[in-house]
Formats: sequence, C-alpha cells, structure tokens
Amino acid sequence: MTQTENPTKARAPRRRSRWNATDLGLIAVFAALVAGSALIAAIPVGGLGVPITLQTLAVMLTGLALGPARAFAAVGLYLLLGFAGLPIFSGGRSGLGVLAGPSAGYIIGFLLAATAVGWLAVVVLARTAKRTGKLRPILLFAAAMVSSIIFIHGLGILGMMVNAKLDFSKAFLADLAFYPGDIIKNVLAVSIALALHKAFPDLLLRRVRTADTRP
Amino acid sequence: MLDRVTVRVSVDGRPAPKTLLEELSLNLTERRIGVIGANGSGKSTLLRLLNGLVPPSDGTVRVDGADTVRAVREVRRRVGFVFTDPLSQLVMPTGREDVELSLRRSIRNAAARRAHAESVLDRFGLLPLADQSIYELSGGERQLLALAAVLAVDPQVLVLDEPSTLLDLRNRELLRRTLAGLRQQVILSTHDLELARDMDRVLVVDDGKVVFDGRAAAAVAHYRDLSAAGLPAPGGGPAGSGLGGLGGELAVPEQAGGRPERAGLEKA
Amino acid sequence: MSSHGLLLAAYVPGSSLIHRAPLWLKFLLVVGCGMASFLIADWAVSAVVMTLLCGLFLLSGAGPARLLRAVRPVLPVLLAIGLFQWWQLGAPTAARIVLNVLVCVVAASILTATTPVQALLDGVASLARPFRRFGADPERFALTIAIMLRSIPFVAGAYMDVRDSARARGLERNPRALVLPVFISTVAFARQTGEALAARGLGEPEDPED
Repeated sequence: MTQTENPTKARAPRRRSRWNATDLGLIAVFAALVAGSALIAAIPVGGLGVPITLQTLAVMLTGLALGPARAFAAVGLYLLLGFAGLPIFSGGRSGLGVLAGPSAGYIIGFLLAATAVGWLAVVVLARTAKRTGKLRPILLFAAAMVSSIIFIHGLGILGMMVNAKLDFSKAFLADLAFYPGDIIKNVLAVSIALALHKAFPDLLLRRVRTADTRP
Repeated sequence: MLDRVTVRVSVDGRPAPKTLLEELSLNLTERRIGVIGANGSGKSTLLRLLNGLVPPSDGTVRVDGADTVRAVREVRRRVGFVFTDPLSQLVMPTGREDVELSLRRSIRNAAARRAHAESVLDRFGLLPLADQSIYELSGGERQLLALAAVLAVDPQVLVLDEPSTLLDLRNRELLRRTLAGLRQQVILSTHDLELARDMDRVLVVDDGKVVFDGRAAAAVAHYRDLSAAGLPAPGGGPAGSGLGGLGGELAVPEQAGGRPERAGLEKA
Repeated sequence: MSSHGLLLAAYVPGSSLIHRAPLWLKFLLVVGCGMASFLIADWAVSAVVMTLLCGLFLLSGAGPARLLRAVRPVLPVLLAIGLFQWWQLGAPTAARIVLNVLVCVVAASILTATTPVQALLDGVASLARPFRRFGADPERFALTIAIMLRSIPFVAGAYMDVRDSARARGLERNPRALVLPVFISTVAFARQTGEALAARGLGEPEDPED
C-alpha cells in the first residue's frame, strides 16, 4: 500500500495525518516485537537485577524503522499494556510495580529514546537522500547513540538512584555495564533498519522523500 | 457488480517505475468470474483493485457506481476479500471473536452481535469450533472461517485470492461446494484449473495484460498453451511439439513464475 | 505458534465476588497499589497490604498454585534485589522494596485472573473514550491492542527461530544475518495484517473526507 501516492484522502488539514490500517498493523506488531524481545533470553547483570535483553535493539529499531509518531505509539502501547498487568516487561514482570523497581528509568527511557531516534532518523534520511556511501549509516548510528545515552542511560541512572537509593557514582558504574552491549545493539539496529527500508521503501523512506519534495 | 474497471497500475520503484498491470478496460458482471495466470502475472493486483486495496495509477474502478478511491469505505462494505492464507486474515484468537469483530461496526449491541455471529458460524458448520484457537483448526476449517467472517457482513461481491492454494483435495472440494452455493457475485484467482472450470467467465492474465477473456474451457486451454510455451520439453525440443496433450499437462503453472504469490502483495 | 495462551491464560472463569466486581474497581486497585508502592515507607504496612491482597486473590477461587505461578517469574530478580538492598541499606528497607513489588504483581494478577480478555479490551476502549476529543478513536485503539496480543506468539516464534539458528550455526557468524530475517518477516507480517484489516473495512480512520 502506497498511501503517499494516494493524495486524494487522509491529507486533510487535520491535527495530524491519520494512520491507516497498515500503520495500525505496524504499531501493533512493533509493540509485540518489543514485548517479545523482553521475554527472550533475559540475563540479569551483576547483583542489581536489571537484566540484559534484546529489548534496546527492538526499541531503537522501532524508532529507526517507523519514525517518531508511530514509534511513540508502539512503545507507548507496550508500556501501557505492561502497566495494565500484561507480563511483558523483562523477566516476565508487569504492572505499575516496575515503576518502583530499579529498572523503572530504563523502561520510561525506552519511550523517549524510540521517539527521539525516530525523529532524528527522519532528519538523517531526508538530508542524506541524494548521498550514497557511509554517511547515512554513520549518522543514524550517532542518532541512536545520542538518543540512548540521553534517555535510556540517563533515565536509567536516575531510576536506580531514586528506586534503589544508590548514589550517582554507584548507579553510573552499574549502568556502565550496559554500554558494550548497547553499542553492538545500536550498530545492529542501524544495519537492520537500513535493510528494512531497502526491502520496504514505503515503510518510512518514501514518506520522507515525498514530504521532502512537497512545496 | 463491477460495472467498470479502466485502469493502469504502476509503482514508484527503483531504478525505474514498474508497471504491474497494463491499461485495461473491463466490465465484470457475470456471477462467477475466474482469473488465472502465472505467479507475478498481475492476478493479485487485479483482484486488489476491486476493493481498493491497490489504488489505480490511472483510471477508475467502480463497484455499482462507487469509486474505489473516493468511496473506499462504501466499496469495502460491498466487496468482501478473502486472502490465500487465512492466518493473515483472521485477527482474533478464536473464530467466534473474529466473526464478532467483523460485525462490530454494523451491530452495536453486544448480545445481538453474539447471536448473529453464532448464526453465521452455524451456517458454515463451524459452531462446534467457535471457541477453539484458530491455530488449532485445520487449513480447510480456517479458510472456511475466513470466508464466514467476510460473509458475516453480507457483501454483494466476494473476491478471493487463490483460496484453494493451501488446501488439500478434500478441503478444495468443500470450498468449491461452498462457493457454488453463495448468492454473492464471486471473483477469484486460482491455480486450481478445476475451480476455474466452475466459472462462467475466465480471464487469463500474463505479464500485466489480460491475454484472454471468455468461457472457462477455452481460457484454461489458452492458459495451458501459454504456460507450456518457452519451457524446455522433457525430450529437449520446444514444448507442445509432438508431445500432444502430455506437454500441456506437464507445464505445471505453479512452477512457471518461481516467486511465491505473496509477491503480488509486497509489490502492491 | 500454539503458544497463544502463554501470556493470557491467567483468566480463571468463576462467579466469585471479585469476578462480579466492576472492572473500574479492579483497575483502580491495580493503579492504587502502584501508587502505594511509592508511598508506603514501613515494611510492616507493606506486609499487611500484601496479606490482604493474597487473601483477595484466594477469595476469587483461582487457587494458591496460580498465585504462586504469577509471582514465580519475578522471584529470582526480587531475590537479587532483596539481597543487594539488605547489604546496602539493611533488612527493613530491603523487605519494603521487595514486598512493594510483590503487592503490584498480586494486584495485577487479581485483575487478570478474574477478567476475560475481551472485557479487558472493552474496558480499555471505554477508558480511552474521553480522549476522543483529542482525535483518539477508542475502537481503533482496542483493535490495535488486539492485534498486538495476537502478534506476540508470532514474534516469539520468530525469536525462537533465531535462537535455534544461532545454536545450529554459531553466534560468532554474522549476527546481522542471524536476526535480520526475524525483522523482515515481522514487518511483512505487520503489513499483511494491515492489509487484511483494510480489506475487511477495519482499522481505517472514520470518514477520511471530513
């Protein structure tokens, strides 16, 4: 479905362009992707019990693949259902209880990081539309790193300080354990996102391109 | 009834735009219409035009006067669509819930909706399976359920994209009988030549063009020749030369295109 | 694919007082316990709340085995947290933190054990109704949730495939080649689902013209 080539509808001057059924499908399935990634192979790190999962990969990929609005919706939906009691947080946890746990900051950070990287991805894709070569992947990786450092790690540290009553230096050190994995996961997320945009040009790329050429 | 189909479909691809369906102009008014052709020939695109899943690049598609782009909601109320793989179509975990989902827009009252869903399931003999997980049903039961969920809202036209491809012989027979008993107009694409022979009119699509349009028997014969042409015959010479009917039988159409029929969906 | 019941099997049919309690009350209980876990400062209060909630759960007739099963996935993590906090901040604080997490888990289990999924979805849709004036569409919202729930088994299956192929081929080989098929097939699945919804006249915005 190439809704961008179909300007006869849904482009009315509304608050926002409305999502069609394909967008709903993408939002729902990426929310499921984030949920599934939390349930598969969670390895608790250190004594703190904040487990390592493929989740940051899924979260960053959601932003890179769907752009800010739909990524916000997808990760938001995941959080909402988790808070509502579905056991889809890492380690099969659920409910508002996680907000009292040490990983609360990370969980909230996911939402902001996915949105931020989605927004940056749209900017990068639009600016590098005519360039080939390494620039696009490098900029996307930078976008992913900046978003995850500010939101996931930043809020993650804050969460451990508030909920686990750690002082900053201890929380910072505990958080440091996630960096090597995160760098690898961000590299993976960018390369997967680029492959997805190649396989499905109308996922985000064509939207960006048509939005760009519009007066 | 589809009174006018005048269209061309292409997608903005790289390096060049790709034409999926050349210009064509059709009136589809017969009660039973079949579309046959190799994988990737444009069958799926043609069917997807009929309820607005694919918008035409040029021209218009009208269902009883309703344009598939401008009045897409109205068109989808009138034209039900059944996919090859029922699992991609069934959204809810059980049959009962899926049929109720179909009815959500038309029947607001929950009890009335439930009652109507049961009567629909009963009509297709699916009531005993209503609360079973769709993953535990057989392929035939699933396809029947997908059909039931679409027919629940009583469309005027039923479009089916290769409905029998994933079914075994027994379930194909069940599907044929079910389709024969429907009062809706039926338009389907298929590789099942037996199913094609049940139709009043059959279109043969090849490389984005309608290359034959007429009675079922003649269309099937045309399609056989078309599929055999260009294939190396088992003996080494060109197909059809001196092999008689056998050469035609050997040209299994499913293998001609190579790509799975999903291709149509992805391109669209 | 048949692992559909994995996350949602928690509902136990019944006619207890809790089954018949209005949905909003149960929602309120879950949210309230979430709040309480921030506010309660004394481990003894946490313990009392915890005992009350366990009693409430058992009152529903779902049985102690199910209660244990709901709590079990959290236990290893809680044990680690508990020990760490005991060492860092002493036993009372550790007990409070652990008990407060358990309070939330049990409260959520009371809700999911006594409410069918369809009723939960209807509840969510009606919760979203006030947001209509901001352009939200409760029907589409509930539909999206339903699609997400049905997609979890598909996604879990795809991840399992990756794990299996990692075992077969070794993780040290290109990890991108290993995980890429999961995401390609997931996006294809999402679009197929979207197309199927559109074909059935579901999920499209109401009256795009106006």
